[in-house]
Amino acid sequence: MGNYQNMQTTNQNVYGVNLKLLNAAVRFNALMLGLTAGTLAALITFFATHASIAKWGSDSGNYLSLLAIFFPGYSVTSGGAWVGAFWAFVYAGTSSALSYRLYGKVLGTRIADILLSTVPTENPVLKPSVLRLHGISLGLAIGAIAAVGLFCSTAWLVIRGTADQSVHAALFANYIPGYSVSILGGLLGAVELFALVFIACLLLATVYNKIVEFRHRQS
Amino acid sequence: MNRPVRDHEILSAVFAKMDVMAMTVAAGVLCSLLLFLATATLLLQDVPQDYPVGPHLRDLSNYLPGYGVSWVGALVGAFYGFIGGALAGFAAAVYWNLTHYVALGVMLISAAELAD
Repeated sequence: MGNYQNMQTTNQNVYGVNLKLLNAAVRFNALMLGLTAGTLAALITFFATHASIAKWGSDSGNYLSLLAIFFPGYSVTSGGAWVGAFWAFVYAGTSSALSYRLYGKVLGTRIADILLSTVPTENPVLKPSVLRLHGISLGLAIGAIAAVGLFCSTAWLVIRGTADQSVHAALFANYIPGYSVSILGGLLGAVELFALVFIACLLLATVYNKIVEFRHRQS
Repeated sequence: MNRPVRDHEILSAVFAKMDVMAMTVAAGVLCSLLLFLATATLLLQDVPQDYPVGPHLRDLSNYLPGYGVSWVGALVGAFYGFIGGALAGFAAAVYWNLTHYVALGVMLISAAELAD
């Protein structure tokens, strides 16, 4: 017991927050989010590939086959669906886990104040509280990862020498004015995509929190 | 203003469950708006007469019957966007809660074994 209290004291910062526990908590949730998003993305890729094969048979590689640019070994075949699921898990899992790490960093020691919709229970394990979302932190985290993702994807198209043939990627310019498949266009697109994702996250968090507030209003 | 944060508050934040209904509706609303705006953006752009508008986005009609790059299609797309987003939000929230329950179960079993 004495050792536990010593550990608590040494791990606390000036505001009395157990930083070791806080960091472990953020790492744990990053892992959970990575697993969640990775599994969902893998399932979607797997079933989209099979749906495409079922609908169009041998002509099914129209748009989905473009994924092979980023998913080495992928093709619109039964075997390719497994390869696609693997890469989707890796990309979505990694980017989601990184997003949560960033989200946790932005929230910092305010995590308990911001994320809980109800008074924290004495037994958080068996009687969990309901999660709230912090739109600004969420927007900063997911927006940053999306922006880096767009820039890296564009840079990859430029590096492999297929920028001029990337007509589908160039269609982003319809939604992101100034975007082009070039390093400069990728940078400009990344900044604009960050802003768009930030706004989308604010909207998501606002609607989610309003419903949580309504459903868990304490009398 | 900073105040001392107790350990059980941090644990509460980690193991807080996601409200499935709220995430379902929020993701549905967001996806609905995104698909509507994606269609509307193309419709509001100046294109030469008889030039096809949004041929690539129109291909979504292969998966979403009734969808098209028109104002009616944008509304149909908003409906499908809500359904698709709601399904994704529901799955994400359920899976998030499930992974936490499973992780928690593993931790409790490990702790019980260590105690023995």
